[in-house]
Amino acid sequence: MSSATILKTPAALFPQPLRSRRPIPLDRLIVPLLTVLSLPLTGCRAKISEMPAGTPITIHPPLGLPAVPVPVDNQPTLQTVALGRRLFYEQRLSKDNSLSCASCHNPKLDFTDGRRVAKGVGGATGLRNVPTVLNAAYLPLLFWDGRAKDLEQQAGSPISDPIEMNQSHKVTVAKLARDPEYRTMFADAFGSSDITIGRVEKALASFERTLLSGNSAFDRYRYGGDNYALSPAQQRGLAIFIDPNKGNCAACHTIDPKYALFTDGKFHNIGVGVDDEGNLKDMGRYNQTHVDSDRGAFKTPTLRNIENTAPYMHDGSLQTLKEVVDFYAGGGNSNPYLDKDIRAIKLSGQDRADLVEFLKSLSGDLPSNAGPTEKR
Amino acid sequence: MKNTLTPTCLFLALVLMCMGCSTKAPLNTASEAAPNPVQYFHVDPATAGEVTGKVSYAGPKPTPKKIDMSEDPACVSAHHGKAVDESLLVGPNHSLANAFVYIKSGLEGKTFEVPVTPVVIDQSGCWFHPRILGVQTNQVVKIVNSDPVTHNIHPMAEINREWNHSQGPGDPALTRKFIKPEIMIPVKCNIHSWMRAYIGVLDHPYFAVSKDDGTFQIPNLPPGTYTLAIWQERLGTQERQITVAPGQHAVADFTFKGK
Repeated sequence: MSSATILKTPAALFPQPLRSRRPIPLDRLIVPLLTVLSLPLTGCRAKISEMPAGTPITIHPPLGLPAVPVPVDNQPTLQTVALGRRLFYEQRLSKDNSLSCASCHNPKLDFTDGRRVAKGVGGATGLRNVPTVLNAAYLPLLFWDGRAKDLEQQAGSPISDPIEMNQSHKVTVAKLARDPEYRTMFADAFGSSDITIGRVEKALASFERTLLSGNSAFDRYRYGGDNYALSPAQQRGLAIFIDPNKGNCAACHTIDPKYALFTDGKFHNIGVGVDDEGNLKDMGRYNQTHVDSDRGAFKTPTLRNIENTAPYMHDGSLQTLKEVVDFYAGGGNSNPYLDKDIRAIKLSGQDRADLVEFLKSLSGDLPSNAGPTEKR
Repeated sequence: MKNTLTPTCLFLALVLMCMGCSTKAPLNTASEAAPNPVQYFHVDPATAGEVTGKVSYAGPKPTPKKIDMSEDPACVSAHHGKAVDESLLVGPNHSLANAFVYIKSGLEGKTFEVPVTPVVIDQSGCWFHPRILGVQTNQVVKIVNSDPVTHNIHPMAEINREWNHSQGPGDPALTRKFIKPEIMIPVKCNIHSWMRAYIGVLDHPYFAVSKDDGTFQIPNLPPGTYTLAIWQERLGTQERQITVAPGQHAVADFTFKGK
């Protein structure tokens, strides 16, 4: 498996047109050139493979969730998931050994921290509210501004972020390498006891792909054929949720025929974070794309388990689900880049109360085998 | 070319650097002493006069209509006492409250200082307090939510920028400004349809809201001839010319016909 990728890499690095332009003399050169060039390149990669080893596993999604997308080069194995789980609760990933991933993504709070914004090493204040890790496996882009393309890329970022765990990847790798137990776990998970940040990221990502939550009252009602799973108020709330002329919530918090992620994975300006001058405090997605319509746009968060993940919005500015529903009912905060779908909507007090009740039906089963492990 | 450019650039860079350092202080004073310093008009207390008057409503006293807040149970309990429509507040002796009286013309060419004290509008009991308010251009309007519910204040301005803003329970006050004169800006809450206020924005301090007994007072007015205007949310507007002689007290009563 690993040797196949090694062979592929240099060829891919070599631009195609260059090879076809001058066929005869260069072709003779290219073969030795390729070999020479590929030696150092493959050398680096070949030395420490980041392909998972061990026993491949299939992640079975609970009721209401689709199959889990898994990258070709990081098929989950028993060993990578176990390693990822250990790393997720590893405080040595932070500069002063005080914080692990779970410090902000606390399983007791459905993998959030209950704070307005994240708190990093030494009490550093983060910029945004901590999103849940539950069902993050399905997100096409990670972070509120979508700056990571997959869980692997996401996983390494908070470790080195100065206002989060504030530890360089080099130091992280060195700290872990001093622990023989980790060397064994990495050997089991990747075929050699070497530790690289790439392996750390892959293991964390694989563990996170197992953090699924479904089989909520909503799922049992919608996908499980249990007509009594939702209370009458919750059923009314669901109707408002999906009605384009009422709540129109499902326009972004999507419900599909066979599953529901409650997010379109896209970015919208809903008017959160508008200052007294009418300006946006955080440009969000715009900082990644520099597209005007992305100013103040943030990723649609999932609504699964929303009852347990207060406070809400990218800046944690809303405390309760009632406040969230009222925020939308009033049309948010005006600003020049407000999403066209955000407008004042006519919802009675009863409608708004029903919506809140419906949101409470989205609390699903929590994954087993997700908590901290005892030392072996 | 290259040889001449390099020293030139270096020289320019040096000059720029020196300018950056040496002219820093003078630049600041230059910007403080702007080319056209605003000359604020100050009223001479020796000659200042005032306008007072009473606003009356000639029609039958309207029976107060109850406001149905049942749409939001939190509002029902937040509103201590029964809520009635306040768009036409008629008191004893036909007195009309909540009419906005202001100098419409006659103050041209005078620039008035912006008061440092903000004007406060409170959302309390799912109601705007006050309902009718005047503010000077660029004066701070402080918007408070004293309710246990979310409001979404929405001044439907046409001359100023129209905006709306959500304010949850316990959220800090908003501070906003209106930069152009506008009579009157209707204000609503995007969530609670019955909430209404009106903001009059003027570039001078000569405005008043009639009290429960219908009276109003516009003091400290420089002598002159003015157009005095009155606005009431349901009864429309009226105007009249008044002359305020030095140190004198002009009286202008208004009567709105019944509807």
